[in-house]
Amino acid sequence: MLWLERQVVASLSGDVRPQHRLAIEGYVDGVLRAMPELLRIGVAGESIVLGAGTWLAARLGSRRLLSERLEGWEHSRIGPIRQYVRLLSSLVIFASEELAPDPQALDPSQPSAAAAGANGRG
Amino acid sequence: MKTLETEVLIIGSGAGGAVTAATLARAGRSVLVVEEGPWIDPDAVEPFSLDEMVLKYRHQGASAALGTPGIAYAEGRCVGGSTEINSGLYHRLPEELADEWRRTYRIAEFTPEVLDKYSDLVENELSVSKLPGAPPPSSAVLERGAAKLGWRAVEFARVFRYDHQGRGVKQTMARTLVPRAVEAGAQILAECRISRLLKRDDRIVGARAERTLPGGETEPVTIIAEHVFVCGGAIQTPTLLQHSGIRAQIGNGLKFHPTIKVAARFPQAYDHGDVPMHRVTEFSPFLTIGGSASRRGHVALALADSGGDYADALAAWEDVVVYYAAIRSDGSGRVTALPGFRAPLVTYRMTDADQSRLARGLLHLGEVLLAAGATELYPSIAGAPVARRAEDLVEWWDAFTPSTANLMTVHLTSTVRMGDDQSRTGADSFGRVWGFRNLRINDASLLPDAPGVNPQAAIMTIAARNADEFLSHL
Repeated sequence: MLWLERQVVASLSGDVRPQHRLAIEGYVDGVLRAMPELLRIGVAGESIVLGAGTWLAARLGSRRLLSERLEGWEHSRIGPIRQYVRLLSSLVIFASEELAPDPQALDPSQPSAAAAGANGRG
Repeated sequence: MKTLETEVLIIGSGAGGAVTAATLARAGRSVLVVEEGPWIDPDAVEPFSLDEMVLKYRHQGASAALGTPGIAYAEGRCVGGSTEINSGLYHRLPEELADEWRRTYRIAEFTPEVLDKYSDLVENELSVSKLPGAPPPSSAVLERGAAKLGWRAVEFARVFRYDHQGRGVKQTMARTLVPRAVEAGAQILAECRISRLLKRDDRIVGARAERTLPGGETEPVTIIAEHVFVCGGAIQTPTLLQHSGIRAQIGNGLKFHPTIKVAARFPQAYDHGDVPMHRVTEFSPFLTIGGSASRRGHVALALADSGGDYADALAAWEDVVVYYAAIRSDGSGRVTALPGFRAPLVTYRMTDADQSRLARGLLHLGEVLLAAGATELYPSIAGAPVARRAEDLVEWWDAFTPSTANLMTVHLTSTVRMGDDQSRTGADSFGRVWGFRNLRINDASLLPDAPGVNPQAAIMTIAARNADEFLSHL
């Protein structure tokens, strides 16, 4: 995964346990590696361009959070940017739910995976 | 370099390849089936689970046809092909559609009598049957909603074998015809990818392949064959042919059923272990309404596709089931193999009529679910409101645009097409590729159009017929 992809996955995963987060990241990384080369090139290209913009904005003092940027990209007028967010969020949501630890084994003080999946995407 | 020799090389082990392999092996032919994916015990992973996507789906499920809108699609990549990952619904090719194809593409020996004969064979072989008892609630929803609206709904047969307690087991190719082909003498070479066919004049003399060994390293393999059947499905078959320099009428004309989903919330928990087997057929063959896999992850995805606030519904995910509307499309697409890339470029163009039909299908889907007692409907349209009453559905019509609709499909067909009209087809009436004496296609690529229902029955029927015809020439 590229830098922005890792940041986006972390942001979309929400406040989950480290082990759960690692499992989600591992799944997303696996899918990105397995996807058709042309699609991967497109996604990587967007990651580089959007990532450079995000990095530069931060260097110039922007306090805008990545979650706020994601919100903007999700409603972008540029189709591929919307699709970029949709792809990563779909992978994170599916993995969050399918890889969620047994709820009975969860510490009640921790937010549930379901809430985390919805967090920022709801 | 390792060299293998066989009389018949079959590339792909899905619905088309497995039927071909079993038929030819039982007839005493020397058969080698080469499958790109792994051979996985059909019981090793839960159906529709994340593990299944990782192990059995091509690209782990991350495939898409580019266009406006882009459309996600799924293919199997394992021994048994897409029969390992589909819902197992079985529907004979409608007679009027077969008749239309026969006339339009000049397909010889494509009469109802011929097709029925092979359909009977397939159905007996695979124990195609309906549920022995009452349908699960998630399926009965469609029947109930349709009845309230005065619409037709039917329970579809499935490629399932039921025990005396009514428990069903999907009769995938890895569970049935592949092992039966092996019993009859066929050899299966899994995790072996064919990179190109070897041509000499008007014959294919073999194939170049790369086999992945248990340790992960690869070895080049050359396979010498007298006859070659390519059965890789509607995306992989044209890709291999194009990589081999065979391009006439190959790869264009891709068809599928654009599909849109709705997550429906009910007042009580529903079953989630199976896919509903009822379908609303009131608008068939141009529009079909059915149910989809609804594990927790699928429910979350479908809810998220609506783009609104879904946290409350997700917390009650056991009350939520995913349904869909799928259309027969006037649009078409293209599969283009690109030098240096394994995966092809896949594009699809929906027509304005398709979009209108799909939007109408979405509204009908909403109607039937509300009539059946759903309390909240989340459509796969970014920004569309949650519908709680029939009046709310009207807003979906305006919200449905190419840029807001989240579409998917699973039934990919028609990238070679069969028939004796050479101006419209890539292969003759029995799948023999034009210009080659011993190269045949026997998979979903041959279907001239997407049939409006799960195409597995049509693929297997046609594959059995073509394999028989091949044997008659030996």
